[in-house]
Amino acid sequence: MAEIRLENVTKKFGENTAVDSVNLTARDTEFLVLVGPSGCGKTTTLRMIAGLEEVTEGEIYIGSRKINDVPPKDRDVAMVFQNYALYPHMNVYRNMAFGLTLRKLPRSEIDLRVKEVAKLLKIEELLWRKPRELSGGQQQRVAMGRAIGRKPKVFLFDEPLSNLDAKLRVQMRGELARLHEQLETTIVYVTHDQVEAMTLADRIAVMDKGIIMQVGSPMEVYNNPKNLFVAGFIGSPTMNFVEAQVTSENGRLFVQSKDFKLGIPVAFHDRFLKARDREVVFGIRPEHLYDAQMRGRFPGGEKIKVNIEVVEPIGSAVILIASCASAHLTACVDPQSSARPRMAMEWFVDMNRMHLFDKTTGEAY
Amino acid sequence: MSRERVETGILQVLHGAGLLFFLFLVAFPFYWMIVASLKPLILLAVNPLDLWLSPGELTLRAYKEVWFQFQFGRYFTNSMYVSAFTVLLTVTLATLAAYTIARLRFRGRIFLSRSILIIYMFPAIVIAVPMYALYTKFGLRNDLHGLVLIYLAQTLPVAIYMLHSYFKTLPPDLEEAALIDGCSRLGVIWRVTVPLSLPAMATVALYTFMIAWNEFLFAFLFLDSPSKFTLSRGIVQIADNINVSQQLLMAAAVIATVPIIGLFLALERHLVRGLTAGGVKA
Repeated sequence: MAEIRLENVTKKFGENTAVDSVNLTARDTEFLVLVGPSGCGKTTTLRMIAGLEEVTEGEIYIGSRKINDVPPKDRDVAMVFQNYALYPHMNVYRNMAFGLTLRKLPRSEIDLRVKEVAKLLKIEELLWRKPRELSGGQQQRVAMGRAIGRKPKVFLFDEPLSNLDAKLRVQMRGELARLHEQLETTIVYVTHDQVEAMTLADRIAVMDKGIIMQVGSPMEVYNNPKNLFVAGFIGSPTMNFVEAQVTSENGRLFVQSKDFKLGIPVAFHDRFLKARDREVVFGIRPEHLYDAQMRGRFPGGEKIKVNIEVVEPIGSAVILIASCASAHLTACVDPQSSARPRMAMEWFVDMNRMHLFDKTTGEAY
Repeated sequence: MSRERVETGILQVLHGAGLLFFLFLVAFPFYWMIVASLKPLILLAVNPLDLWLSPGELTLRAYKEVWFQFQFGRYFTNSMYVSAFTVLLTVTLATLAAYTIARLRFRGRIFLSRSILIIYMFPAIVIAVPMYALYTKFGLRNDLHGLVLIYLAQTLPVAIYMLHSYFKTLPPDLEEAALIDGCSRLGVIWRVTVPLSLPAMATVALYTFMIAWNEFLFAFLFLDSPSKFTLSRGIVQIADNINVSQQLLMAAAVIATVPIIGLFLALERHLVRGLTAGGVKA
């Protein structure tokens, strides 16, 4: 049980700043996910918590103890690596017992723990095999088992599911969530997959270029992205962005672009007033655009005219890629939609779900 | 028969012939050495070209004589001592050094790793005379440990280079996992790196052993008293002696060769495994 606290943590590799004065707290028993594109510094941050990278500046605490100079073995953390990092020369049992043996636990206690964890992860029949005789999914379980058996204060996961095939990944994701419920331990989890981040996290920290862009619950980050980067990174398909201006007519605010003019709901006027006459980026998620012909699904409101270019049915929905005069838009609509390529059609825009960002700073209004 | 089958057939025949040719080239002198060492001296003198060895004629007289009268038992022990000691030191030091350059980040790492092989720019014969003077001064001449020291200097660079390349192929994650699991750096080397590098270390050990076992120049220069002679030095000693028969010389040669062959056969499995180990995903 422990809280992890990063205070102004910076990591430089020569001239390059990989992590730039990060302040971040993983609360006790929280599942915190660090998400971002590759090279954003998330793995480096995790490795600093593990003690595998030295901290250039700033402090890291686990509980109340400052751990900057504590060697990895004394930090009481366990880590699951992307490629599992199972010791190839040891069988599963010895892989799981390794850390316990080094901590000089009595043999009976080690045996008890290994078997208990093996049962929890349903790998009892694999205990005497070597890692190379296991499938990817089984190796993944053993790697988790090795971490769990240690009963550490903190679990660190470095993209643990990215080497699994899609189906297994979804299954393991579910098991991870279940394990977190059972273990009640602080977890810091790194991934570039925003779906993984959304489904697993208590809170998400979105990183880019070594900087924490936003920290919040999955729905907070999804509904109220603080800037263009977070808005574009979280959510799939990606949010649509159109360059526009905020104009006012007869006391009403509008988003005006080359392609359309959309009324901003009155409820948002206070929030967006300061964007008036400014260059902005209008953002709307594909799932908040609706096929206007599908009456009854959406009450109506602002409409835009588009020309369909690509139709991608994914079963539960249809993804439409379309063009306006100057922009390309993606919509995720009801699978019953009759949209066909090269068809002109109208979409409803759910303006209650709109986002506005400053064009120069990228910050949300 | 199709053209392709004819071609394959011809290639197979050529392949076999080539192998036989080289096998003959390699094995014949060795065979001759063994035959000559085991034949009674008389038969050898009557017809030196008779390569047939019938079991009834076998005699180990030459071996006994070389081993006891000509002190080869002593030389053998000396050679074994020097070689084993060199292997032990080389493998230990090379492992630590190679690990350091392969894994740890420190100032001058790249320069250090590149400069290791510079020592090979100086041929042994160039440093022989200064070394002789130096060894005389420090009292290391006519001392087997002095020999170990100079063999160490000869084998260490290549050993470091070989292990360094091998260590770099090991996934660093494994070592990091061990660091987190509770190992110190030395613990990681001992419990993870070394067990995974056994094939490479066997190769290094074999290479070092062969260098130390076969080395002649420095043994010839530095060793004065026969009680300190190594095998290579000892063979020259009896080869120079006109009273010694070819049979004895051959027996001495067999004694000098057998340990290397035995070692090679013993480690061969590891060597082959070392060559194929990279193919498996860790």
